[in-house]
Amino acid sequence: MSSSLKLLGEIRQSSERRPFEVLKLAEPLLNKGSIAQAGDEVWLVYEQVFLAAIDEGQIDVAKAVLEILHNRFGEESQRVKRLYGLVSEATGHPEDAKRLYDDMLEKDATNVLANKRLIALLKSQGQYVQAIQELVSYLDTHGNDFEAWLELTHLYLDQHLYSQAAFCIEEVILQQPANHYFHLCYAEISYTMGNLDVALKEYLRVVELSTDNVRGFYGVKLTADRILDITSSRGSGKSKGPSHLKVENAPQKAMLERLSQLAAERLLAIYSGSGDAMKKTLEEWLKL
Amino acid sequence: MGGLIESTDQTMFLDPAIRNWVLFPITVIMVLVGVFRHQLTILMTGQPAKPDIKEIRQGKALMRGHTLAQNNSYIPTAAFIERKKYLCQAYEDGTYLKDKTSKEKSPTDLMADPKNMEAMMDGMKKQMMGIIPQTLIMGWIQFFFSGFILIKLPFPLGLRFKQMLQSGIMTPNMDVRWVSSISWYFINLFGLRGVFALLLGGENSADGTRDMTAMSTMGAMGQQPGQPQDFNKQFLGMKDNLSIIYHEWDLENIEQRVLVKYGKQARIFKSTRK
Repeated sequence: MSSSLKLLGEIRQSSERRPFEVLKLAEPLLNKGSIAQAGDEVWLVYEQVFLAAIDEGQIDVAKAVLEILHNRFGEESQRVKRLYGLVSEATGHPEDAKRLYDDMLEKDATNVLANKRLIALLKSQGQYVQAIQELVSYLDTHGNDFEAWLELTHLYLDQHLYSQAAFCIEEVILQQPANHYFHLCYAEISYTMGNLDVALKEYLRVVELSTDNVRGFYGVKLTADRILDITSSRGSGKSKGPSHLKVENAPQKAMLERLSQLAAERLLAIYSGSGDAMKKTLEEWLKL
Repeated sequence: MGGLIESTDQTMFLDPAIRNWVLFPITVIMVLVGVFRHQLTILMTGQPAKPDIKEIRQGKALMRGHTLAQNNSYIPTAAFIERKKYLCQAYEDGTYLKDKTSKEKSPTDLMADPKNMEAMMDGMKKQMMGIIPQTLIMGWIQFFFSGFILIKLPFPLGLRFKQMLQSGIMTPNMDVRWVSSISWYFINLFGLRGVFALLLGGENSADGTRDMTAMSTMGAMGQQPGQPQDFNKQFLGMKDNLSIIYHEWDLENIEQRVLVKYGKQARIFKSTRK
């Protein structure tokens, strides 16, 4: 039994959602009552089981666990209240949930759990504009929550508001500068917006932080080639390519060619172990 | 009768009654008082004051400035300048201040703020909890248990300690290793830390040495515990910090760094041309 408890603890630590596994591990514990072995951890396990049950759609299990938590922590516990909200959301009563979260926030404007749940609820209902507004006001207070900034980035991207998304991902990078994934996100947003000079540098940052990063190198090749294309055509007087593309701060031609070549080489090296179909696709792409 | 103090081992036999009625009782009393103090502190410590939303906002705004100053080189210059301008303006205008009208606040006003009062009272209460039992026990020991030798220390000490550790007994020749009860109190003070850790868990309030350090730092700093922070001043300070930053984008020479990393170039050439 204690090995299941340990595994559940590890899943909690890594904040993964593995609802099926959690339920499978927890079922014998709950049925046989041996969960009492966990001591004080037992409440964390209950919360974890509740979330897994909601994920898997097993509302009765969720309600049963919620009953136990309610008996221990009572009406006024913020964490328990939020779980009630989750049940309402899961059973298709979003209005009830929204009322509950609004109520919680009225009583205590600093309640992070209720705030985030409200935003998630709005998002799940497709009310993106309100979700963005709520999230912006949350970030006005809690400016150092980089996960919230990341969420806002994705919300803006869904709405194709690229410069706002770029601002948000910059905030994330400001707080987590060593994470190559955020630089990758920034690079791709910049490329989409047409800031090719920034995009190239950010893609390069990605491959510096994360050796042989495939997406990074694809980005380097694409951007470098595109800049070469544009600067050569602009130089020769032909107006090729949309004028909004920014390439002013890009490196010189020789450097661009070296980077492009490096990217191609590394990509071929990375895929050297894969099947022939992959290699062929890659070579075709590289010729473009 | 001057002359050398004999350094031969002085053997004296102590009445076993001393051991029963002084040694053990002092230790037992100290343990009990420690546990009692710990429980009392738990009872008396109120809930930490819950910050209201404006206070959180204020604090986090300062952190944003700090993060910007620290990590400014990781975002492009334009992005940095945009944020710098916004934050400096906001700090000057007091946009993030909890209480916008309070830009000019004197220290006495800050202290009068009820939340700060509570925090200071809490701190003072904790210190009282530490000092009073110590003083009481020391006084009790001096009153009841002075004037006789209690134990012999297993290690030798310098003559200076004679005055402190043999306070009740006027004997110029006795070895410093024979000490009175007050030194047993000190030994217990330091030694019982381990016992308390075992009984009460790591973070316990029964530890006497912590009070001693608290007393010495209070004397050294001469500052009231939990002094309320003046956010307006801090904002203006952060604004100055931000305005003097010379921004250099970390990615200026990233092209060469990548080439070097993948072995295409031997080293980085510092040139003004890209």
